[in-house]
Amino acid sequence: MKRRDFVKYAGGGLAALVVGSVLPTWVSNTSLLAVKQVQELNFTITDAVKDMITHNSINKAQCYFWLYKEQNFPAEIPGPHIFTTEGSLIKVSITNGLDEPHAFFIPGMVNSGPIAPGATKQIQFVASKAGTYLYYDNLNAPVNRVMGLHGALIVMPNNAVPGHKFTPYSNPTTAVQQLFDDFGTTTHFPGLAWEQGDPTTYTPAFRQYVWLLHAASSRLFAEVGNYPPGRDYPAAQFISAYQRDRFRSDGLNKKPDYFTINGHSGWFAAHNPTITPHHRVGEPAVVRILNAGLSLHSLHIHANHVYATGKNGVVEENPIWMDTLTVKPLDVIEWVVPFTRPPDVPNERGIGLPDKPLISISNPRISGSTPHPVWPPTEELGTFMPKRGDKAGDIDISVQLSPICYPMHDHSESSQGAQGGNYGLGMMSGIHFIGDRNTPGGVSTFPNASTIHGPEVTGPAAGPDVYHEGH
Amino acid sequence: MSFSKPGHHIPRRSIEGHEGTWVKIFNPPKESPPTPELLEPTNPVPAFVAATVPGVTNLTPYTIRPHLMHGTELKMWDGRELNFFLIGDNDTPDAFDGTFPGPTIRVPRGVVFHAQVEGHGQAPHTIHWHGIEPTAINDGVGHSSMEIGDYTYQWQPNHIGSYFYHCHRNTIQHFDFGLYGFLIIEPPDAYDSSDGKNVGGYPRRTAANLSQYPMFPGFIGGNLESGNPHAMTVPYDVEALWVIDDIDSVWRDQAEHAHQTFPEHGDIPGVNDEFHTNDRGKQEFFAFHDFNPDYFVVTGVNFPGRLGSTVSIRPGLTIPASLNSGVAGMQISVNARRNQTILVRLLCAAYTKVKVTFPVDVVVIAVDGRSLGVPPFGRYNKPYTIPAGKPIEMSTAQRMDVLIRSSRSLSSFGQIEYRHHLSDAFLLNGRIPIVIK
Repeated sequence: MKRRDFVKYAGGGLAALVVGSVLPTWVSNTSLLAVKQVQELNFTITDAVKDMITHNSINKAQCYFWLYKEQNFPAEIPGPHIFTTEGSLIKVSITNGLDEPHAFFIPGMVNSGPIAPGATKQIQFVASKAGTYLYYDNLNAPVNRVMGLHGALIVMPNNAVPGHKFTPYSNPTTAVQQLFDDFGTTTHFPGLAWEQGDPTTYTPAFRQYVWLLHAASSRLFAEVGNYPPGRDYPAAQFISAYQRDRFRSDGLNKKPDYFTINGHSGWFAAHNPTITPHHRVGEPAVVRILNAGLSLHSLHIHANHVYATGKNGVVEENPIWMDTLTVKPLDVIEWVVPFTRPPDVPNERGIGLPDKPLISISNPRISGSTPHPVWPPTEELGTFMPKRGDKAGDIDISVQLSPICYPMHDHSESSQGAQGGNYGLGMMSGIHFIGDRNTPGGVSTFPNASTIHGPEVTGPAAGPDVYHEGH
Repeated sequence: MSFSKPGHHIPRRSIEGHEGTWVKIFNPPKESPPTPELLEPTNPVPAFVAATVPGVTNLTPYTIRPHLMHGTELKMWDGRELNFFLIGDNDTPDAFDGTFPGPTIRVPRGVVFHAQVEGHGQAPHTIHWHGIEPTAINDGVGHSSMEIGDYTYQWQPNHIGSYFYHCHRNTIQHFDFGLYGFLIIEPPDAYDSSDGKNVGGYPRRTAANLSQYPMFPGFIGGNLESGNPHAMTVPYDVEALWVIDDIDSVWRDQAEHAHQTFPEHGDIPGVNDEFHTNDRGKQEFFAFHDFNPDYFVVTGVNFPGRLGSTVSIRPGLTIPASLNSGVAGMQISVNARRNQTILVRLLCAAYTKVKVTFPVDVVVIAVDGRSLGVPPFGRYNKPYTIPAGKPIEMSTAQRMDVLIRSSRSLSSFGQIEYRHHLSDAFLLNGRIPIVIK
């Protein structure tokens, strides 16, 4: 991958660094994963002002953060996703560019200890166990972490358990191993195994996503940024303001007012194919969920119930098939999205299996409507809402119902806006169905459905343009 | 390095070339489209209710006709009136003006379900059938398809269990203000009286795998593919519905209209959208990030107490057949006999977190409308016992179905402990009577 493309993907949310001397098979078989291989991570601890999601014309909608800036990446909060393989030695160089001591910490794996302002520290550690980890600054807890000094480390197993298919774990439970063995081999999960890709349909193997949740408080974080250099903002005062600040009807208190997944809110997460899985029926995907903030979230996914296979380093003995997940501060949870046909699309037996779809009747209100199988939903896929020709100014804003888009949102809904209102710009992502591997005649891709696996967008930024000067 | 001299500036990303999906995220279109992939509806429940509940009609065959409204004042336990948005039903006089929660909808597995939903020139709404997984246009999320208008939602429930339905427009406000009701998927023959069962009462059956729990009689195993409508189901004698909710009276007072914080797109979307159109330019209320409940309810019944208190609802509360798809006798406070199988359906509709504690052991048979241990999709998990006194943590929108069967008499309470989702501060302990004689 060209460096320019890599940086573009990196800003989008799921380009990742792969650490290790040998590119493992789970990467080299995954030509569409945007990765850069490095032998050493090189972080600078620094700060940034970020333009947050808004359509508010009366303020800048900015939030101050601290961040781990890796030299290969543009500045972003959270720090980059880092992928490696179990047993790899990871070398990290960290320079503290801020005014108070900072650190790099992964529970049970590495602890840099305090790094003085201006100092650089070299550390190394072994990625000892496959799984999902939050790396963060554990000093003045939880202030430094919540201010933005956090990111995700993903450790993949070296091999599948002999005689079985790959899971995200080295020692899966019987139930979780059975689930991954069943993808692509059973009548209820027809399609691909998780470890299987298909270059002819641009489908990567080991489809996996990170949803790193955060809730940022612009006024509290500004207060930390304005604190006298060299002094730690008192942690108890920080927690109290974040969790208990007095209600104000104009919303201008110190409780969190921006809610992000991988640093993005609303449209920027929900329509980003490196955050929101875009796959066909029969292309199961793993989502790794981490909560860096101090708030409870209740994540609800539409269109597929998902299996929660691991929580905080423990593989589930009894993986529940759920549509809503409780995520507490610092929780790390793996979800598996089976990517089955949404089960309540009418079918012959109506028992949740991929039966033949029912045959529709012709609908006199739809021109040219004739009886046809209700899946793939060709009449629905051909619908535009807003209708074709609907405009905002001179700009066409029609949207085709293809791919079939579903949301994932925090149902503890006070996270679903930005700046206290502004619904639709909060903590959300989704899953998008771009086709079906099991349609008669083979794999289908829905009309005009995107198969891109990284954002390709350039141009002027969203938000009131006048504020883009400055910094 | 500081707020005023940061090391970096991170600009917003562009939406250029993607204005349509950007606008739709916060300002979805209101449309009245024909139902694509149209099928003849086959849901027998509306005709049953019309035939058995006095005054109820069924004007569109095999179809229910809910509607959504706002601006109703309901009286709380202390006499204070709060602003609610309610779901009503056009065929049910008891529900025409809306109820809190909305009427419970019961549907047999496998039928083609139609809900003809009207807008009334009010703020736009949708119905999302939470846990039901149809195509996007029938999923009822404006941001993925459209807001109504008039539309007939269509889906076929494939999994027996506990669901709910709610408006998915500005969900922060519309769901919180009361636009929701419970939804139950039952075995395929639940409304077929030809075998002599009491279709409008109890016992009824639900999905479970109780092969390891012989204490619950009448469980039938086998497999779903056999076509036996009772495969992998268990009968229950008593059914209780606990919909746990919390209310912030400040939100109700200050955000009184249903489109208070609806942003509108500008003629250059992403650049000159307007956040403040609907607040009449005064920034009257922009605090939907800050929820601090001070009223607490279960299935619409107030826990009569202030913040910090422990209070009980009355024993013997039930839900009328007219608001429960023609089924008489569904309970809120539990009143059963010894050696009866009791099914409690739990829904957390609160934005805070709750802990539910039972005074007896309960067996969890289903979570989020999916029965545990029922193959093929449930072959990876199994039902489990939660011992008496151990709290069950729930967060917003989760459901759990638990079974109770006691050979001993009991007069006690189920307890709902509310804690703030941010601070974990204790808010209220609500008690629901459980009497087994």
